[in-house]
Amino acid sequence: MSAKPYGLIATFDTTPSVYHAAEQVRDAGYKNWDCITPFPIHGLDKAMGLKRSNVPKFSLCGGLLGFTTGMSLIYYTSAVSYPLVVGGKPYFSPLFAFPVSYELTILFTAFATIGGMFFLNGLPMHYHPVLKSDKILSGMDDKFHIVIESADPKFNLALTKALLEKAGGKDIQELEA
Amino acid sequence: MSTHAATASAALPSETSSSCACAGKALGVGLAGIVLTIIGLFVSDGHAVALSWLIGVSFWTAIAIGMLMLVMIHHILDASWSVVLRRQFEHGLAAFPWLALLFAPLVIVSWTGSHDYIWNWMNPDAVIHGGHTVGHDPLYVKKSSFLNLEMFTAMTALCFAAWIWLSARLRKASFSQDADGDLKWTFMNRKTAAFGLAVGAITLSLAAIYWIKSLEYHWFSTMYGVWFFANCVRGALAIGVLMLLALYKRGDLKGILNNNHLHSVGMLIFAFTVFWAYVTFSQYFLIWNANVPEETFWYNLREITRAGEPSQWKYVGMLILFGHFLFPFLFLLSYKNKITHSRIAFIVRWILLMIVIDLIFNVGPALKDSHGEPLPFLSLNLLWTATSIVGVGGVFFWAYLKSFPKTKLIPIRDPRITECLTHHE
Repeated sequence: MSAKPYGLIATFDTTPSVYHAAEQVRDAGYKNWDCITPFPIHGLDKAMGLKRSNVPKFSLCGGLLGFTTGMSLIYYTSAVSYPLVVGGKPYFSPLFAFPVSYELTILFTAFATIGGMFFLNGLPMHYHPVLKSDKILSGMDDKFHIVIESADPKFNLALTKALLEKAGGKDIQELEA
Repeated sequence: MSTHAATASAALPSETSSSCACAGKALGVGLAGIVLTIIGLFVSDGHAVALSWLIGVSFWTAIAIGMLMLVMIHHILDASWSVVLRRQFEHGLAAFPWLALLFAPLVIVSWTGSHDYIWNWMNPDAVIHGGHTVGHDPLYVKKSSFLNLEMFTAMTALCFAAWIWLSARLRKASFSQDADGDLKWTFMNRKTAAFGLAVGAITLSLAAIYWIKSLEYHWFSTMYGVWFFANCVRGALAIGVLMLLALYKRGDLKGILNNNHLHSVGMLIFAFTVFWAYVTFSQYFLIWNANVPEETFWYNLREITRAGEPSQWKYVGMLILFGHFLFPFLFLLSYKNKITHSRIAFIVRWILLMIVIDLIFNVGPALKDSHGEPLPFLSLNLLWTATSIVGVGGVFFWAYLKSFPKTKLIPIRDPRITECLTHHE
């Protein structure tokens, strides 16, 4: 195991303190870092400089796929594979293919949204270095944490530590990789 | 919260004078539209102008109904994000008595003029296609207890009375709470909403059936009231967004209206775009699938001429399909388009235009030539529709602006106002 730690973890006591610290870490230009909070903090995504989620792009692809699947399914079955005149209607019309396409659009959009969400957030994740620290317990209870990973291009043990201290972080510890 | 409230009340005196000036302008524009429409009665075909007036009154009444329904939905669901928007809707509700007044000429002319001036079933002697008269038409006879002039007048009066009464209750409770902050007003509005939603659903369906659907009284569709409701809500949300943006631009809502409000209202517009499409498609699809002549004729009138050629109405129908559904649907998928002021303002204006075209599509083909063929879409009647929309719209905004200074800019003592001002995703 290399001596290089996974990253640094700092503890904060209050919501405003972690919020403002996140703004400072964001402004310092860090990319590979995260906040651990016991409850959702509204506006923290902005303080962390996070962009809007990419999940909607997956949803859109799923929806388009569902719609075309529905249309092609009905086209293939009723106009190619087994053409049959029903009720004097044409072999294929987008009208009667529409309910099926509509339902498949919704179904595939839902699948793509759930799948895209898991793909992007990397869940399920059975191990994370933060779990080795006992800090995670307070992070799920009444304390707030900021973790900066050593994988970040700007990471420098001394400088990053100084930044977290300046931002008001207490009890700064190295996380074992 | 206290700072918001202070800004709101401090801004009030200056608003009062400027909104009165705007109200005068709105009334002027409205009267000009009404005068032009009256001129149309003399220089153009009276029936056509009367139907255009019906479109104009229905359009703004639909928007007012949509506002009424949204305010009640807001109360019944105890929604917090829409408190600021709700106040604008409450001002819009002030238009109902004036809309009733503007609808009255259509009723009066049906009583005094030839009874079939607008709705041909009002005159039993009216000759219908095929040489029969309405009075001997089995489809009319079976429906005559519902479709007669007395019932029409009573039901229209009942609808307007219900809307005016519900609006007065909702407005009184909400405005009184601004003064005393008493929670009882919130509970009163919740109770009003509980029965008001049912009353609203029934009355708006009745209005849609009597005013618009009965223009082709042979037709059957169980979706018609829901179709009208979808347009009501879409129109109300569109006007609501324009009101919010105008107030933001003027400075009133600076620091109050945020992107999350626009995102939420944008999602609601998106949802009702899909709802409208669902209902409109269901109506078409069931009729297309069953293929029963009593129902299909309504769409045939709007698609092909007697010679079997596609008519102008077919392309209007296509415009509605792609312009009223597909384009807003794709446009509103994007987050940016929902929160950027210029973009959301564009799409709601587009939707309002499409609602007008949807109403023309439903009303216009009732005008027929001597062979029973609907008159084309592109005609001078579009001008009278425009003057009617402007005429009734001017009166609508006059009523809105007159109500505006009567109370606070936002419901500052509503129990949910803090949640609304800090609305987040």
